Amino acid sequence: MYNRKIRGPLIEGNKTLSQITNDVSAPMELKQGTWWFIAFGISSLAALFGFYAIYITVTKGIGTWGVNNSVGWGWEIINFVWWIGIGHAGTAFSIFLLILRQRWRTSINRAAEAMTVLAVMSAAIFPALHMGRVWLAFYIFPYPNTRGPLWVNFNSPLFWDFAAITAYLLISASFWYLGTLPDFATIRDRTTSKIKKAVYGFFSLGWTGSSRQWIRFESLSFILGGIAAVLVVSVHSIVATDFAVGVEPGWHTTLFPPYFVVGAIFSGFAMVMTLMVIIRRIYNFKDYITDNHMDAIARILVFISLIMGTAYATEIFIAWYSGNEYEMFTFFRNRITGDYTIQFWGMIICNALIPQLFWFRKIRRNWVGLLIVSLFINLGMWFERYNIVITSLTKDFLPSNWVSYKPTIIDIGVYVGTIGIFVCGVLLFIRYIPMMAISELKSVARIGDKKED
Amino acid sequence: MTRSFKIGIFDGEEKFLSSVKLLQEQEFSIFDVFTPYPVHEIFHLLKRKSKLPTAAYLFGLFGIIATLAFLYYTSVIDWPIVYGGKPFNSFPSFIVVTIVVTILTVTIASLAAFSARSKLFPGRDNTVFDTRATDDKFVIVVITDISDKSRADKAGSLMKENGAVEVYDKEFENIKS
Repeated sequence: MYNRKIRGPLIEGNKTLSQITNDVSAPMELKQGTWWFIAFGISSLAALFGFYAIYITVTKGIGTWGVNNSVGWGWEIINFVWWIGIGHAGTAFSIFLLILRQRWRTSINRAAEAMTVLAVMSAAIFPALHMGRVWLAFYIFPYPNTRGPLWVNFNSPLFWDFAAITAYLLISASFWYLGTLPDFATIRDRTTSKIKKAVYGFFSLGWTGSSRQWIRFESLSFILGGIAAVLVVSVHSIVATDFAVGVEPGWHTTLFPPYFVVGAIFSGFAMVMTLMVIIRRIYNFKDYITDNHMDAIARILVFISLIMGTAYATEIFIAWYSGNEYEMFTFFRNRITGDYTIQFWGMIICNALIPQLFWFRKIRRNWVGLLIVSLFINLGMWFERYNIVITSLTKDFLPSNWVSYKPTIIDIGVYVGTIGIFVCGVLLFIRYIPMMAISELKSVARIGDKKED
Repeated sequence: MTRSFKIGIFDGEEKFLSSVKLLQEQEFSIFDVFTPYPVHEIFHLLKRKSKLPTAAYLFGLFGIIATLAFLYYTSVIDWPIVYGGKPFNSFPSFIVVTIVVTILTVTIASLAAFSARSKLFPGRDNTVFDTRATDDKFVIVVITDISDKSRADKAGSLMKENGAVEVYDKEFENIKS
């Protein structure tokens, strides 16, 4: 059980229950500051740029991207894997920590789950566009069709990927929505505006907080948490098999699935940290998202960073140990040295070395330190995917296939656009949905006070 | 049908719990209690149990069998194609899709079951006994008989003596538990 003496209170400041309600719903009731409108404006512009790039991609085709015959996967796959990785945080946060009964998740899980849903939505844009004829995307559904019926290839990781991401999006969205029911009811019951009452009343589905509802709510949360934990692991493993079943040097390794899953949780936690550092400063949520919470995330990050470092070292070691000249070439002549050294060393420095700063308590307790390191991790994870996708594809087995790769403005546009959509979504989320699970905060407000703990 | 209720509002968990115990000892029938967060002792006191885990298990079983049957039908019976030298019924590579689809089935079916059993669905009227239950109050709703006024009063005074901040009567038409 949670030991308050050792780990500090989960919520500081001896809040009463109604104080918690007031504090958490305050950002939705007060006027947002100018920063909100500025941020929303900038991210909308970014999203518009993205829609323009998507429009060009759809009307002219993916020839407008930087991809070519050798480098069939460019920025789009890099960004897809990057976003999916970020999308692992919410569920990793709420689900793994829910099953492990880590109560400190309560003040962070709502925002982390919102982030997940938005990140997975951003991610899903890329493979859809990559199909080329996006209006025929429905071909990937295994439905009885007039073409035979010719079914999809159920043995292909690309199909698994589609199934997993669709399932992941639906499940993380419904898990998130389920958690908001009691909080929507809280807003419904405290608001004085008729419109708000109707809207939140509709979305609360008539929640009353009776014991019958609560017991089913709790048991459903655990069921969904338990089964979605399997999904979290499987989604990124499947993304990894997209690469690992290929014969490209540098991809064809059994290390890929665990390496990808750990990397995904790494980038996800880093993004949660970035977001939380900003939110708790702007809205002054320091009593709810305490220094201990940030400390705990930082500790997880430093641990995962060590795993990442080990994975990088293992890859390089196996390339040498296997005696395979193509693997040797890819790792030693094309990654550690060669044309893409910036990305390779960027990855090592950002993911394996910089997070080691979290060994120092001073940095774990300093919001600037947390923010900078978490941003470096996000960058580093992008470099990692760049490193994997581009180095292996630009220089494969046949030197006559060797090319160089450069993104076009359209590639950049789609990427910037998804960041815009993501930030817009986060801003709308903090404005219209309680940022922290109010009912869960109430249930942990006194934890550690009672004798049983 | 109009039913009348005696409603007690409590500030804290302890007094609320002991009132529920007292009311049960005096054999009042408690309609339900409303709390801002799940209180586990209440589940034991009111003997609330959820059959959702069993239901979810059955949904999962159904999901696994249905998915594998579908994959077998499409890949072996309807249109067999050899992919990479694998047998038509390449079970090991079907596992991934089976896991994912099973998880999706369980999620959707459990949500539907939850919605049906708890009567939570879009467009439901938001009838609540006391709106403060979603904020910071613990609410006990006791079923009282309209004809037997003294017993209703006894329930009220019992809660009042045991620390209820407010006790009042309310009547509802056509309310279902």
